[in-house]
Amino acid sequence: MTKRIFLITTTILLVFTACKKEKGCTDFAATNYNADAEEDDGSCTYAINGCMNPSANNFDPLATIDDGSCIFPQVTYGCTDSTAINYNPTAIVDDSSCCYVAGCTDTLALNYTPNACYDDGSCTYFTPTPYQIISPSGFPNMDIPSNNPMTVEGVNLGNKLFHDKILSGNGMQACASCHLQSAAFSDTNQFSTGIDGLFGDRNASTIINAGWNNSNFWDGRASSLEEQAFDPVTNPLEMHDNWLNVENKLNADDEYPALFKNAFNIDYIDSNHVVMAIAQFERTLISANSKFDKYLRGEAQLSPSELGGHAIFNTEKGDCFHCHGTQMFMDNLFHNNGLDPEPFIDLGLGKITNDASDNGKFKTPTLRNIEFSAPYMHDGRFGTLEQVVEHYNSGGEYSSTVDPLMKKLGVGLQLTNQEKQDLVAFLKTLTDTDFITQ
Amino acid sequence: MKRVFLIITTISLAFTACKKEKGCTDLLATNYNADAEEDDGSCIHSGCTDSTAFNYIATANSDDGSCCFQSGCTDPAAYNYDPSACYNDGTCKYNLLLSFTHTIDGNALQINEMIYSNTVGQNYSIQTLRYLISDITLHSANGTSILLDEVHFITISDSSTVNLDIQDLNSANYTAISFTMGLDSLKNITDLYLNESFFPSFAWPDFMGGGYHYMQLEGDYTTAFQGYATHTGGTDGLDFSFTKNFPIAINIENVNTTVIINMEINNWYSNPNTITLTSDGIMDNANKQALLQANGIADVFSVNINY
Repeated sequence: MTKRIFLITTTILLVFTACKKEKGCTDFAATNYNADAEEDDGSCTYAINGCMNPSANNFDPLATIDDGSCIFPQVTYGCTDSTAINYNPTAIVDDSSCCYVAGCTDTLALNYTPNACYDDGSCTYFTPTPYQIISPSGFPNMDIPSNNPMTVEGVNLGNKLFHDKILSGNGMQACASCHLQSAAFSDTNQFSTGIDGLFGDRNASTIINAGWNNSNFWDGRASSLEEQAFDPVTNPLEMHDNWLNVENKLNADDEYPALFKNAFNIDYIDSNHVVMAIAQFERTLISANSKFDKYLRGEAQLSPSELGGHAIFNTEKGDCFHCHGTQMFMDNLFHNNGLDPEPFIDLGLGKITNDASDNGKFKTPTLRNIEFSAPYMHDGRFGTLEQVVEHYNSGGEYSSTVDPLMKKLGVGLQLTNQEKQDLVAFLKTLTDTDFITQ
Repeated sequence: MKRVFLIITTISLAFTACKKEKGCTDLLATNYNADAEEDDGSCIHSGCTDSTAFNYIATANSDDGSCCFQSGCTDPAAYNYDPSACYNDGTCKYNLLLSFTHTIDGNALQINEMIYSNTVGQNYSIQTLRYLISDITLHSANGTSILLDEVHFITISDSSTVNLDIQDLNSANYTAISFTMGLDSLKNITDLYLNESFFPSFAWPDFMGGGYHYMQLEGDYTTAFQGYATHTGGTDGLDFSFTKNFPIAINIENVNTTVIINMEINNWYSNPNTITLTSDGIMDNANKQALLQANGIADVFSVNINY
């Protein structure tokens, strides 16, 4: 009997067991979906997006997937030291940014303070005022070196240097001592006397429209005005100083360091910047307001004599224009105008080029303000314009390098006295009183 | 039974005889089969099969390793030759050197030497020779032309002015070169060329018509004590410039192509007009200018090519 019951029970159990359905989550969308479950037992769990970081304001304990939406409580970082310049009263966490030195923090500024960590708005910058060179009518563009742009500060500094005797060995001579404005920035003496009482063998060049010179000095040995200005300061016959000494004097001066700082943004004055300033000043020495300029502009009339001279000048009768043509009244070239026979005392261009065919050639000077730039020629041999005209009128001396434009050597132009006077009258219309006096 | 066999054999033979030879029938394919009567799609077309390459061939089905991904100028004779380029994109540009030479009686000019003589028997030397050549133009067979330089100043005292290096020229069938001696009336205007190297030395006074000299040829003649100045230009606003056209094939696709423009100086003074050197100025002398112009047109200039 027992055995029978056991069998029945077992059978029933087996039947029940066999028939019992597998229970579980049957929702395909649930995270715990059970593919074997035949009956849903309510155990399905689903993914919940939300903030899972417990320290966030919007922590969602039910979230199963962090969706990046956490918002954290505002913690202000900053300098928490009330003695610092940048103390932030609202800062809760110190971020080591505390700063105790204020100043200019911009490395590009003139007054950059290297140890300053807090910019107090005090930065000042190198902003020199551009100086605009306006080419007069009939003049080309001025060729200004790209490394020495014209500025008002540079020009003013150059003007001061040009007139300052500090550049000479004994403090007795300035550039302006031999380049007098009243003499068209030339010297009325045939040869200029240096600080040691010595003098050279050439007449001081005028500085008129020199910004358009392709070369400088009578022999053209300096290609730029900057290069030119290096020479007289150390020349034993002129200002006879040395550049180290000049630099020391300028750096020790009360005014110059600040002026150079403003003009060039340099803290130590060197010779390069001295000549740059002087060259900038020289480029402003522009003369284009003579009576003749006014005549061309229709603002003035020339007298019959002046007009007669103009015609001689501008035709091959006088043939002045080939070298002294255009409103520049110079050709930027070198010529032997028949002053001397060979051998030449002064080789001129030939000494610089070592080319015998250049011997006796000198740079054509502008004729502007010629009335005031006596004496004339490279060696100042002629004291008056009449003497100059007479030189060309009588034809000049033969030499192997004499210019073919001195066509009739020993014969000359053969002008009448009236024509010579007319020529001189025309030359005097090139006087620009504004240039001489201002 | 025998009869059935015969029929089958006959049918088989008929089928065999009619079967066409198959293969590649495309003459352009690498595996073209001349015997093939029917194309079986086996043709191999070699070439670049990468559609991103410059030389991609859409019909190629066999890559031959020729694909090129760098375009540029592939001509070593071009000045913008790109050695890394494998595909010529048609951008090749060529240089052309113009060389201005000067002879007297066919011999190279020597300055400052009293060794020359003109048709009237005057001995002369030359110290200065400067002149302006304008509107230098290359002409091609298709009728188009290229302006090489508007104004070129030549002075024998500066060797850099006797050569003119023209860059950026496209390849073309150039058949002629032309230029103007001096400046025509549209160009010969005072202050038009203020910033050129020939200002101020070449200026022609407004008093005599303005503009510029065409030429300054100067030296001594007969004895060393007399100078002459053969200065040509637009006297009193007249136009004495002249244009010369030289038909000549110019192949610029050569590294060393040089067009030589020679001035035979002595010919300024002869043919058709015999001109005597004088120490008097000629700038204001329209008749003299016209005589020089005619001589200039006749046989002063010649053009040759060097490769």
